[in-house]
Amino acid sequence: MVKTLIQVLLISLLASHASAEHVAGHLVQQPTEKWKANGAKSHLYFAPSFEELPINGAFKRFTVGVIADQKQPQSLNVQVQIASADLGSSDLNEAIQMVDWFDSETFAEASFASEDIAMGQAENQFIATGLLQLKGMKKTIEVPFSWQASNHNNISMVGELALGRHDFAIGTGEWASGDQIGLAVRVWFELVLEIADD
Amino acid sequence: MTIKNTQARWGWLSKVFHWATALLIFIQIPLGFYAESLRLSPLKIDVFIWHKSLGMLVLLLVIVRLLWRIKITIPIALATSRLEKLLASAAHGVLYLLMLALPLSGWITSAAANFPVKLFWLIPLPPIVGPDDGLKSIAAEVHEICVFVLIAILVVHIGAALRHHFMLGDSALKRMWF
Repeated sequence: MVKTLIQVLLISLLASHASAEHVAGHLVQQPTEKWKANGAKSHLYFAPSFEELPINGAFKRFTVGVIADQKQPQSLNVQVQIASADLGSSDLNEAIQMVDWFDSETFAEASFASEDIAMGQAENQFIATGLLQLKGMKKTIEVPFSWQASNHNNISMVGELALGRHDFAIGTGEWASGDQIGLAVRVWFELVLEIADD
Repeated sequence: MTIKNTQARWGWLSKVFHWATALLIFIQIPLGFYAESLRLSPLKIDVFIWHKSLGMLVLLLVIVRLLWRIKITIPIALATSRLEKLLASAAHGVLYLLMLALPLSGWITSAAANFPVKLFWLIPLPPIVGPDDGLKSIAAEVHEICVFVLIAILVVHIGAALRHHFMLGDSALKRMWF
């Protein structure tokens, strides 16, 4: 009898502990989770300007990795395949890969690694500060973005920034002047993040 | 000098249309070949902006000109035979067609290449089509063929005007001048 009672007590204790852990798991996410951008649903756009008129383009191949819980992103890592830049026509796409511009034969990949992610002004707004490496140049930049858990399985991450092409030696020599092709390049992204398998 | 044409003479508006387009075409043809010959550079882009700006001016002029032409009298042709008359009106028809086809195919080429245009560095030209490599190649080909046909017809047009003036001694050239 006593033995049975102890058994029941033990089982119920174990069970309640297990369920408490289960509930806790729902209330508080694991402290860190690895997220990555779903390539098919994510977009990284860029728009240089010509005579102040934008030319909308996109990088077709890139990877984004974020370490975060659902409330707070903690690190952001981006790799971009420069040769995948698409400005909508083969004429422009060939031109931007030339040595004066992206020179993707020498500098195939651009990358961003955050050093810090701070809360932004509004809710769900963050600012990642880190090093952008592009065409062999390095510069600390700020990447503002919104961070919205749309459901348990994915996060929408949207942001926009402006980069100065002179900071990265893009458009050198006779193209250095910003009169024809503007010095500021608009960059924006719409990412859908999913839990990384690994 | 009246604005309107008569059976015998061209009015001043038709003359302005004629000589303005003539001047623009004589700038446009060498300008186009020059722009095309340049390597990709800021200069090439600037020369192309001139070419596109003047081309759109030609398109605008020819549309207004055609509307005016539909509305008013055309002076009687000074042809020596029915065949000549037929050839002359065919040549004029093709000239009008080319004055439309050249700017339009150029506009399509530029827009399909996803190249934004600001006419005379002032007026944004809306893209007539979206980016499309295949369409761009076709439009560029049409543009090139059209310019060679235009050159051939212009040789005939100018040759005919000079023939009327110097050999036939009629007023064909004089009545188009001011």
